[in-house]
Amino acid sequence: MNNRSYSARQLKEQIKNKSLSPQELSSSIISLCNSVQEKYNAFISIDPDIISKEIEALFDDKLKVGDNAPLFGFSYSLGDNIATSGYVTTCASKMLSTYKPPLDAHVFLKLKENGAIIIGKTNMEEFGIGCSGESSYFKGVKNPWNTKHTAGNGAAAAVLTGVVNFSLASDVRGELRQAASYCGVFALKPTYGRISRRGLLDSASSLENIGLMAGNTMDLAAALTAVAGHDPHDVTSLRSEAPDYISLLEGNSKELQAAVPENWQDAPYLEDELKDIFQGQLKKLEELGIKIHFVQLPHFQHSSLTATIISAVEAFSNLANYDGVRFGYRAEGRHLQEMYTLTRSEGFSSKLKKFLTFGALVSSAKYYNDYFLKAQKLRSVITKELEDCLQRYDLLLTPTTPFRAPGPGILPGREELPDPAGYYTAAANLAGLPALTYPLHTKGLPYGLQFTGKKEDELTLLKAALLLENENTLAFPNFDFNNQGV
Amino acid sequence: MPEFETVIGLEVHVELLTNTKLFCGCSTAFGADPNTQVCPLCLGLPGGTLPKLNEKAVEYTIKAAMALNCRIADEITFDRKNYYYADLPKGFQISQFFQPTGRDGYVEIHLDGRSKKIGIHQVHLEEDTGKLLHMGDIISSPYSRVDFNRAGVPLIEIVTEPDIRSPEEARLFLQKLRSILRYIAISDCKMEEGSMRCDANISIRPAGSKELRTKTELKNMNSFRAVFRGIEYEVERQRSVVMEGKEVIPQTRHWDEAKGITKAMRSKLVSANYRCFPDPNLPPYKLPAEWLEEIRKSIPELPDSRYSRFTGEYGLPPYDAEILTASREIADYYEAVLTGYNEPKSVSNWIMSELLRLLNSTNTGINDCKIKPEDLGKLLQMIDKGTISGKIAKGVFEEMFATGKKPEDIIKEKGLTQISDEDTIAKIVDSVLAGNPGSVEDYRKGKNKALGFLVGQVMKETKGKANPQLVNKLLKEKLDR
Ligand SMILES: [Zn+2]
Repeated sequence: MNNRSYSARQLKEQIKNKSLSPQELSSSIISLCNSVQEKYNAFISIDPDIISKEIEALFDDKLKVGDNAPLFGFSYSLGDNIATSGYVTTCASKMLSTYKPPLDAHVFLKLKENGAIIIGKTNMEEFGIGCSGESSYFKGVKNPWNTKHTAGNGAAAAVLTGVVNFSLASDVRGELRQAASYCGVFALKPTYGRISRRGLLDSASSLENIGLMAGNTMDLAAALTAVAGHDPHDVTSLRSEAPDYISLLEGNSKELQAAVPENWQDAPYLEDELKDIFQGQLKKLEELGIKIHFVQLPHFQHSSLTATIISAVEAFSNLANYDGVRFGYRAEGRHLQEMYTLTRSEGFSSKLKKFLTFGALVSSAKYYNDYFLKAQKLRSVITKELEDCLQRYDLLLTPTTPFRAPGPGILPGREELPDPAGYYTAAANLAGLPALTYPLHTKGLPYGLQFTGKKEDELTLLKAALLLENENTLAFPNFDFNNQGV
Repeated sequence: MPEFETVIGLEVHVELLTNTKLFCGCSTAFGADPNTQVCPLCLGLPGGTLPKLNEKAVEYTIKAAMALNCRIADEITFDRKNYYYADLPKGFQISQFFQPTGRDGYVEIHLDGRSKKIGIHQVHLEEDTGKLLHMGDIISSPYSRVDFNRAGVPLIEIVTEPDIRSPEEARLFLQKLRSILRYIAISDCKMEEGSMRCDANISIRPAGSKELRTKTELKNMNSFRAVFRGIEYEVERQRSVVMEGKEVIPQTRHWDEAKGITKAMRSKLVSANYRCFPDPNLPPYKLPAEWLEEIRKSIPELPDSRYSRFTGEYGLPPYDAEILTASREIADYYEAVLTGYNEPKSVSNWIMSELLRLLNSTNTGINDCKIKPEDLGKLLQMIDKGTISGKIAKGVFEEMFATGKKPEDIIKEKGLTQISDEDTIAKIVDSVLAGNPGSVEDYRKGKNKALGFLVGQVMKETKGKANPQLVNKLLKEKLDR
């Protein structure tokens, strides 16, 4: 149990028994949004008119949103690289700062069907690449635990402050889980293909997934049930139908076998405090009946570099359409070549340009075999290693990030490739496996505990998280926005 | 002067006759207004739809690869070729780089009475680019406009081995390729409309040498004639470069049809860095054996097999067989006529001299020809039976071609039935002999030419309907008496 549980269900009651008017609800949500925005810069777009209309629809019996819709009363946000035709979808880039996509993302349509209300589009790193709070055209997101530190992205800050019940954001090398860890909330990156990628403005299609964040396991499961499932318009989407996670979570769980990489302490920039906390967690898990096994995963340590190379090459290709010809930002040039160069020089942040240049370099004829091809081979090796391990154990257990939310002057490995924040998270992207981060609230900034599971087995991860959640008391801070909370 | 050998490899792009594009539902129809057949996907707009492979295009590619005697892969991949150009909306072209559909095939051409196999390196499927439109020519135009209707249209690329040795072989190869691809009905292969495009890699080397020398890539040849002339010019150009003691520079050159020359466009090395990798939005695509079998069964008899049947079974001369089998429709028509009138050479003569002449002069396709094959058969039977003369038959044939009427109806309407009654002709012969005593005198003095004149007079009297053999016979009898 935690103090973020079941808030949506309470709201549902209030709407049903009309103890709240749509105007009251709208104005309280909008003012909460504004406060969160003012203090933490969590959003790129908030549209009070859209929020009011969606809330009115909840109260209007004639409109389709029935109160038996699974997500009735739930509010959520979307990362700004998930297409919404009603909101600009900027990818936090100058390149798209006024861009409205032609279509709505699959997940947006699913959530609408399920009765959830969209509150806004959240801030993030440019094109969702990384989690260090440096590259958003709209400036970084402040961590509500300590505003001197980054929140990783707006999705995590929005969930943490309670302005939404859950949020959706993308995960290329672990960004979703890293931000959730920095903010101390729950996050799940499902199996690759579990959630349709239609409408995701992705930077690295083979690694990138839409994932979910929430304040508790049940909200995570409810949101997953709504958006998971086969989409015939995404050929990379899983063929199998997604189960109803909520009802399956109610059953008893068998004893779980968890693997821990024996060299988990080798992560660069691993904080000493985290070592103790993680070891303490292992003990606690054993007490809860999760058996811990130390295993050898010799290539796991290369997963961040491998994912960095592959994602940089794919981003170089995926973002090649940002050329100023048909949409988005366009600089004036005397000829085509100059127009391209200026458009991309001015439209992208220097951090993104460095990343794309790296992608261009490692895939160039000169370095293709030594870097890109090698990374692709390593990807298969890492995938095989993880799959073999997960044949024998139910899940893999690691910290989510080696360190807490970076702050002023503390940005571990800033100039380094690979990204040290992805040390534990990138492997799940390489192998397309589901991974969940469970929040560890400590003094000061929180940490995260990561469970990586078998392909298509999100359920085991949710069960493990629920087990911990029921035993621990998670204390989310109470954010005082001058008494404007719902 | 040293002897040189020419080494040519062709890269032929052929637009497939699918109704929709390779990865989206946009129409592929030719000639629509610019940018009316586009969608977020083929425009490369962010947040649009994801690519969905057009299975018909895969089927057509397999069909082509089979018809070109290739090995077919059991799994194909789609890969990105990354480069920037204004006609390329996504900044990459989706093609098959790592696992093409077909490999190691060949096409047989007939040259100077012998046949030669041109190796096919590979056949793969890819998407077309958009098209830049300019005011006048590209250099003086103040701006470029882009039409994306063509962007994403499925193309197959056929890459030959460097087996071609002359401009004539290149032309024959292309004609044979077009004929095969039209037989299997996967493309209309119109070079003028750009649905068949050909680039040539050309190099020369001292005769007898086996190594490959520096090549140039020749583009912009928009007809079979242009391919022939362009290659011919480029070979000559390379020869004179080498004769001057200079080196051939590897580059892309454009054929200038009006000036009849090739011009350097860009250095080849610049564009070689395509950074190919499997498209992460398109997983490998399996080609199940049963599906391949089904496709193989749907392939009709191809020109080569038909050619040998026409020369063997029907005893046609190679020239006739080549022309009749070049188009599936003509070959089908020919064989349909034979079912009603089994005289292969005679039918071939009629089709090659009369039918193809009329089709060409009226710019009509064989499918729109009004003469039904069985009616042509009937007409030829009537000549054999003596119902009409060969000469009259040609007139009837033209009438059939223009109106589609049956030969017996035309003959009846116009009273063209041949006069084969001896008494009737004898009377006319008598009156002609009586009216031309001078010619009779000449004949009897040994001037055989006079007989022809008298035959002509009888034919004139009967408006050409008299049976010519009978006229000859009666005239001779009466004159020699
Ligand atoms: Zn389209």
